[in-house]
Amino acid sequence: MEFVLSQLAGFGGAFAALVVDPLTYVYLVTSVFLGITFGALPGLTATLAVTILTGFFGNKIPLDYSLIALLGAYVGAIYGGSYPSILLNIPGTAASAATAMDGHPLAKAGRGGEALGLTTTASFIGTLIGTFALLVFVWALLLVSKNIASPEKALLALFGILLSGTLMSEDLVIKGWIAGLIGLAMAMVGMDPLLSEPRYTFGWSYMMSGFQVVPVLMGAFAVPQIIEGLRHADVGKLVQFRDRIVPNLATVRRYLPTITRSGVIGTGVGALPGVGEDVAGWVSYGVGKTVSKDGKNFGKGSVEGLLSAETANNACIGGALIPLLVLGIPGSPPAAALMGAFKINNVIPGPTIDPAIILRVVAILVLASFTMFLMGLFTARVFIRILRIPQTVFLPVVMVLTTIGSFSVGGGINDLYLMLGVGFVAYFMNMLAFPIAPLVIGVILGGLFDETFRRSLFLSDGDLSVFVSRPGAAILLALNVALILSQIPFVQRAFGRLKRRTA
Amino acid sequence: MEPSEDKSIMRARDFWAALILMAVSVFFLWRTADIPLFNTTQGGVAGVAWYNSAAIVPLGIFLAMLVLSVVLLVVAIRAGGAQRALTAVGLGWDRDEALRFATLAVIFLSYIAALVPRVDFIICSGLLITALIYGYHEGRTGRMTLAAGIMALAGAAAMVLHFPQSEWSAHGDDWIALVLWIGLTCWMLWNGHRSRVFRITPWIAVGAPLILVCAMAFGFRQNVPNRGGLIFSKIEYHYYVTLRPLWRT
Repeated sequence: MEFVLSQLAGFGGAFAALVVDPLTYVYLVTSVFLGITFGALPGLTATLAVTILTGFFGNKIPLDYSLIALLGAYVGAIYGGSYPSILLNIPGTAASAATAMDGHPLAKAGRGGEALGLTTTASFIGTLIGTFALLVFVWALLLVSKNIASPEKALLALFGILLSGTLMSEDLVIKGWIAGLIGLAMAMVGMDPLLSEPRYTFGWSYMMSGFQVVPVLMGAFAVPQIIEGLRHADVGKLVQFRDRIVPNLATVRRYLPTITRSGVIGTGVGALPGVGEDVAGWVSYGVGKTVSKDGKNFGKGSVEGLLSAETANNACIGGALIPLLVLGIPGSPPAAALMGAFKINNVIPGPTIDPAIILRVVAILVLASFTMFLMGLFTARVFIRILRIPQTVFLPVVMVLTTIGSFSVGGGINDLYLMLGVGFVAYFMNMLAFPIAPLVIGVILGGLFDETFRRSLFLSDGDLSVFVSRPGAAILLALNVALILSQIPFVQRAFGRLKRRTA
Repeated sequence: MEPSEDKSIMRARDFWAALILMAVSVFFLWRTADIPLFNTTQGGVAGVAWYNSAAIVPLGIFLAMLVLSVVLLVVAIRAGGAQRALTAVGLGWDRDEALRFATLAVIFLSYIAALVPRVDFIICSGLLITALIYGYHEGRTGRMTLAAGIMALAGAAAMVLHFPQSEWSAHGDDWIALVLWIGLTCWMLWNGHRSRVFRITPWIAVGAPLILVCAMAFGFRQNVPNRGGLIFSKIEYHYYVTLRPLWRT
């Protein structure tokens, strides 16, 4: 208890420092507004919002303000996706796909205002639950992470890529793993981190410093969305509603156990490396459907279903920041973009991170969730109007935003070539149902994996038992092996037989 | 389309994807062979053992990719992907979609590779926005082709007139791109004056790049593409010579 109180005191100091600074509100209101707008426009995603703002704010303003802008956009975009989900039955972001299942039937039943009021409240509470978990668990994990050495780091990076590949694949799991390997391979370009030996530079001096994170993120997340979205499509029929968008406190109180459960699930899923808000929303929705008495009405306009999905996807934000801040492993694709912002500011997330940054992140998340809540209640009509803008009108502007953002981070035309090249590859990968998130996680963690894997072998004189002789490493190795084996059909069949026999 | 049909198309695509991935893996394994592996000097460090070599991790990555590509190929062949792979219908390939992608590729390549380095950012971005909205808003193939043709023409002019980096600040290609932009805008308004989207397009095409480039250059004080461009050089001059002294003094 004393530990929690001391954390709360530290958080109070960081919060007060932010609250008294007028510039905080400028960045906060702007970024949350932009985030909700990005989330509300189908075709733009939370990852894209954070990535594009990284291009603009990443290294051009002090890190504190940069974090406000990026976290504000992150929180806003995850929430903003619920608008088209409820009113158009088109998820604004993948994270809000589960929200559409019950949000749209509610809107069609003339309860659109109530649905939006509930998602606003659920998103707000969800973000706070995730943030509280971040505040408490990040410190406990930071204490543990002091004992994490190179073998554990290498295996953890590998686990992050494998897990992301496994859970983010919509088709074959093997495609997720291949995407992760492509990302790892991209991270090998340039001077190697231990011996400065050039790899795959093809005599091009630009390649010596390796692939820059921001152009890769822009290419991987923006260009395929733009190519995919530039086609004739009707905006869709907005469901009209007359009721007011207000938080229904009696309903919130009645469903508090559901909100709490969904918040915990969202935070837990977010803490898994490389697994995003969409998975959190669906897992929470699935659990809700199983355990709820109202489970049979899920998908037909159930308030509980709506709250399950919407609370979890916002709670995932705090969860996704836990592995990012403690281990330098992003918990979700937008967190990967955030990692890019840290990197271009020369801040290395992980056990050596300045504790003050963590407290500021927590304080910013709390302020961002308050801003989102107020904007959701008082400016919702603005965002509903934004839904009428066709993709073919805003996507060309996004292309210009992406270009100037990518150029300004590195200051060179070569970054634009890299962005476009990665963009075309990512488009074809999307078409072939290869997930993009593991690729990005691979690019970000590739350098860490290469360095720590070889350092482990160097310190043990090439003895591979270094990966099993330490308890932490042995557990992580077992997790990696179990994850791979669990996807092999032969092993799955054997387990199935064993299960039937024991039953 | 039936889910089973979708799956068959996906396996046909997987067949080709696996072959490409195998070729890429083999190519990079061959390139990795250039990095010494056993007891060598690397980056000025002598006596580097295999486990510390810069080649060990890439070797593992490309070997794993090769193995997984073979597995993907086997999965695709077993699901009948190889039989469907040689027909356009089997791949789920659509002529209109191919044209849409090809025209977009031409537009993006012209913009990034030819126009952004050489032409004023406001002009080339305005042309891009106009071309994309005109070409793709109503999904007509004729408009897509015209939009791609105009972007390609502007890009080719920039490449032919001012290919070397030393000539990137010259203005000949800026004028050509500007004329093409005005021409496309007039054509769009003439043919689609009833469309509300087309009527607001010129405002978006001028406003968005203008605000972005000014915010980046004067707000964030960052480098922007082609500072010596036809319009931006004038804005920059008047910002520092005419406007800034007003509040600096």
